[in-house]
Amino acid sequence: MTEFLFNWLVNVPAFAVPFALAALGLILSERAGVLNLGAEGFMLAGALAGIGVTINGGPPLAALAGAMLAGMAMGLVFAFLTASLRINHVIAGLALVFFADALTRYIASYAGWTNQAIKGLEPIFLGQDLVVWATPLICLGCVLLLNRTRFGLALRAVGENPAAADAAGIDVTTMRILAILLGTALIGLAGGYLTVAVSKIWTGSVVGGRGWIAIALVIFARWHPWRAVLGAILFGCIEALIPRIAATGADVPRYFLQMPPYLATLAVMIWSATRSSGGGAQPAALGLHHIREDRD
Amino acid sequence: MKLLQKAAWLTALSALGLTQLTVGASAEFAAKGDPKPAVILFGESNDGGWSQSIDESRKKLESELNLRIPQAEKIPETATAIRPAAELFIDRGANIIIGSAFGYSDTFKELAEQYPETVFINPAGTTNGPNLKSIYGRTYESQYLCGMIAGGLTKSNKIGFVAANPFGLVNWTVNAYLLGARQVNPDAELSVVFTGAWADPVKERAAAEALIEQGVDVLGQHVDTPTVQVVAGEHDVYGTGHHRDLSEFSKATQCSSIWTWDRFLKPEIEKIAAGGFEKAPYGAFLSIKDGLIDVACCGEAVSDELKEKVMAERDAIIAGKHVFAGPLSDREGTVRVKEGEVLSDGDLWSMDWYVDGVSGQ
Repeated sequence: MTEFLFNWLVNVPAFAVPFALAALGLILSERAGVLNLGAEGFMLAGALAGIGVTINGGPPLAALAGAMLAGMAMGLVFAFLTASLRINHVIAGLALVFFADALTRYIASYAGWTNQAIKGLEPIFLGQDLVVWATPLICLGCVLLLNRTRFGLALRAVGENPAAADAAGIDVTTMRILAILLGTALIGLAGGYLTVAVSKIWTGSVVGGRGWIAIALVIFARWHPWRAVLGAILFGCIEALIPRIAATGADVPRYFLQMPPYLATLAVMIWSATRSSGGGAQPAALGLHHIREDRD
Repeated sequence: MKLLQKAAWLTALSALGLTQLTVGASAEFAAKGDPKPAVILFGESNDGGWSQSIDESRKKLESELNLRIPQAEKIPETATAIRPAAELFIDRGANIIIGSAFGYSDTFKELAEQYPETVFINPAGTTNGPNLKSIYGRTYESQYLCGMIAGGLTKSNKIGFVAANPFGLVNWTVNAYLLGARQVNPDAELSVVFTGAWADPVKERAAAEALIEQGVDVLGQHVDTPTVQVVAGEHDVYGTGHHRDLSEFSKATQCSSIWTWDRFLKPEIEKIAAGGFEKAPYGAFLSIKDGLIDVACCGEAVSDELKEKVMAERDAIIAGKHVFAGPLSDREGTVRVKEGEVLSDGDLWSMDWYVDGVSGQ
């Protein structure tokens, strides 16, 4: 039993980290009022870049840096569409997911990176790798950035009331572009971690819907970084537990095991919806465009 | 434009109920002219598994039949994607359309009725007709032989299996794998983990690692990526593959259950060219003998003695031995196949039970 618990717990971080990083990235852009449904696509870009750099001889850290850059490159497209051209956030995000899906598969098959096993990121301490240890610090960084800096104040102002922020002299478009780039760097890192440290192989389906779960996590966390990490750990516990229970041969239906995180998400949403304060933590201008001197 | 007109014409026809007439008239099917096959792939042609196995057979057929066989890949399982791909090939003169997915079944049925002078062959499909045939392999035969390799190689008598989703055609590979293992090693036990996805390398790695933690020292698989084989190699245990010879991805792979579509399709295309397309109202469910499936065997760890045993069983299966021959009970003790009988094809497709010695959900 001790061995089972140990094997389970030691594997939780590797599953939790992609969810946590992606959710943190989403929170950064959504707190600036940019509704980001493109997480799956940014993760795919990062995942492919991580594999590509590694196969071409780059060390794991370079691969992760490449993943962040790839996420940001896609983020730049998203920022151009949403912040500059003011295209509907939902449509731009969904279109980018499909675009990234096709583009990454095309590049991977053109370059011959599919199904190539790599060595990947090695553990450094207590069986965990660098990114696992860095994730709480990244979360702390997000909290400090959002709550303790002028930049964070401006970012949140743009997400809550862009007209007021604009009147106060904050460049709404620039703030949103910066928020998207910061966020997509983290989401790209989440994807890169998935291939460089977890699967250690690329196939077109490697992200497998984890970007969508990260979006649910952000709602679950009510746009708060620490709660997003807690939610990610919950999902990580489940992902690490299911195959281990199955491997022992215990007769537990896996469909029931997969339910708790989603039930928790639903419960949190119901809880926050029934609270008297109403909308809760959702940024007031989430998904809304700001056009100067335009009357709503 | 021509295509659009054709589509509009056919829509009008079917609205008048005239398609029924057309089908009736073409019941005696004969292909027009020389065979011109074209392949529509559901996945990427280099996915390392299912789609690649079909594409490799396409290339072999090209050289063996001295034909150019065009291919379209990554065509999703929706009518709006399948139809333009198929109609483009037909417009360019193709008269044999080869599919690759369960999800093509309904659209292929409609296309076959619209294009009565074209033959449609659909691996993993479920629909059939005068010019449409779905084909699938009796993969329990090849997985049984791989299971023998696993049974012979295991030292802990604990074998693991990573599978996608628990339904008939996956469950029969799980059961056959253990039956094969017990053929050479009566003490073998099989733990199976279902990932719930056909190709999720993250979940496949987690499943393989969890099984290795439990003391498993050979890993079989029925998922679409080679991740399980790679993990087996990292932990110095053995593995067996599915779909294609996976030893190209990992030194751990000692045997693979493989598709050999070309061995079936070559005579099939020649038959169609000679006007002898055989209808199969319930589809063609093909075995090693028919050439659709086989094993790629064996790796360096397999002794000559074990290899001989496997090849002898392969010969026996070709000669008519059924893997699911009675007496056979499930792990709850219910008799599933009586003495002297074999499992029917219908019971194979609906298999929802496991033989004694299989653990997992």
